[in-house]
Amino acid sequence: MPMVSRPDFLPDLPPWSRKTLFALALAAICFAFAFPVLWLILTSLRPESGVYYVHRGTEFTFGNFAEVLRDDRIVEAFINSALIATLATVFSLLVTVSSGYMLSRFTGPASRIWFGTIYVFRCVPYISWVLPLYFVTQSWGIYDTYTGILLPHVAVHICFFSWLMKGFFDGIDPSMEYAAMIDGCTRWGAFVRVAVPSAIPAISALAVLCWLFTWNEFLFALILTGNRVPMITVVMAQFVTEMGLRWNLMAATAVMALVPAFLIALFGQKYVIRGLRI
Amino acid sequence: MFGEQQRFMLFLIAPAALLMLLFQVLPIVIGANASFRDWALYNPKKTWIGFSHYYAVITDPAFLYVVLPNTFLFMVLSVAGALVAGLSLALLLNRPFRGQKLVQTVLLVPLMVAPVVAAIMIRWIFNDQFGIVNAVLEAIGLEGQPWLVQRWSAFGIILLTDIWLWTPWFTLLLLAGLQSLPKEPFEAAAIDGTTTWRVFRFLTLPMLRPVIVVCVVIRAIDAFRTFDIVWTLTGGGPGRSTELFSLYAYVHAFLNLDLGRGSAAAIIGGLIILVIGVVLYRLVDRIAKA
Repeated sequence: MPMVSRPDFLPDLPPWSRKTLFALALAAICFAFAFPVLWLILTSLRPESGVYYVHRGTEFTFGNFAEVLRDDRIVEAFINSALIATLATVFSLLVTVSSGYMLSRFTGPASRIWFGTIYVFRCVPYISWVLPLYFVTQSWGIYDTYTGILLPHVAVHICFFSWLMKGFFDGIDPSMEYAAMIDGCTRWGAFVRVAVPSAIPAISALAVLCWLFTWNEFLFALILTGNRVPMITVVMAQFVTEMGLRWNLMAATAVMALVPAFLIALFGQKYVIRGLRI
Repeated sequence: MFGEQQRFMLFLIAPAALLMLLFQVLPIVIGANASFRDWALYNPKKTWIGFSHYYAVITDPAFLYVVLPNTFLFMVLSVAGALVAGLSLALLLNRPFRGQKLVQTVLLVPLMVAPVVAAIMIRWIFNDQFGIVNAVLEAIGLEGQPWLVQRWSAFGIILLTDIWLWTPWFTLLLLAGLQSLPKEPFEAAAIDGTTTWRVFRFLTLPMLRPVIVVCVVIRAIDAFRTFDIVWTLTGGGPGRSTELFSLYAYVHAFLNLDLGRGSAAAIIGGLIILVIGVVLYRLVDRIAKA
């Protein structure tokens, strides 16, 4: 699209200088967005002696990563976070795909009430229900267990993802489902065999988002877990206060926490971008 | 009692509804109950004391003159900052050029970074003794600042971190919106020789408005409850000067061990954002229909 895509902000300059300016602007933007992460990676590669002057000195080491991995609690936290993120993704999708389908395919009071409920609960700040959830999970005996952190994570995604899923299904023509039902498919058959397969790109996008959100989530883990199920975000935040001066180790832990998220996001990037475009 | 279609609809939403009932509705009810009781964690008498927790919160000078203004200021500035930056980037990227894929991937970086990790990075970069920002400032002859122990610089850094985290989100959604706009009006404007600014002001902006409004609503509601970056960057300090609403509720419930007061604060905040949410929803509805 040649015409649309050329908002010329510098119309009076010759083309070569406009190109240079554009390239410089892009470089500056990339730098601004990548610099903190690059700096973190650089810090994580510095030995203890060099960490306070990251910008000087040339010694580099992988020793920080080795030292962090010797800490059982951190390793355990990584495993827990990965496990919970994966399970939460699976369960969230099972629950929200059907709920979004209902919102998209049916009109009438039931659908409107469900949409209203979802919107209202999307607005409620996490702290308003996670704070008392501390007591609820304790009285049910699931505080500081996998179930106790997994189910709230599934619950929190219901509102936003049902909403997104509704949008995705709105973009899919329902006539195929009607055709399947005329051919003798049940409603469930039409949903599971026709609608869900055609929504696979959108579902993949949601899976990526859901995994990232859960892996990155902090407040739930802070309130709903203790020593038995350490989660990586909480362990890192404790680091800041407990070992406030050992920045090389902290940077190494943070870099390791970035790696799975980067991999997931890089593999899922095309699904997310395509999914968001609907 | 129900028709076949109603049963199908019910089954579709039943698991989601059940989970929400158990893990959202029920805790909110229990929290509301606790907010009316003398419920200290070290001595849970659980006696009914009416609205005294609510009274204590809304007459607390820290809540009225620090936490609430901070929360609203943060909400407005972080959404406005990320919107302006995100829209400018979307306009800049909305043209084919070499290396577009690379730029897009770099822009995705903040989206993958956990807020806690972002806060740790920024804390390190702005560290008063060893941070790179102060090192650069001193190298060019300026004085390094203790960034995170002064109220407004700490607040600014929290804001900056949040904008860094969320600008890409705006960029991606607005770029998707830009690319789905019809081309004809822009072609007509180009033939008429309309200036760039007028094209933006009278064509792009109005046509993009529905997308912008939805993004702003979603982000504003999320910004109101920000917790993790503040907790990791300043812990609400120096003093309590950068506390936001979620932090205030958390501090009362789990550091001062007064669950009743914490719940009351959480419910007051919930009511405030609910009102904002409903007003914003009306706004979206009107703009979508107009």
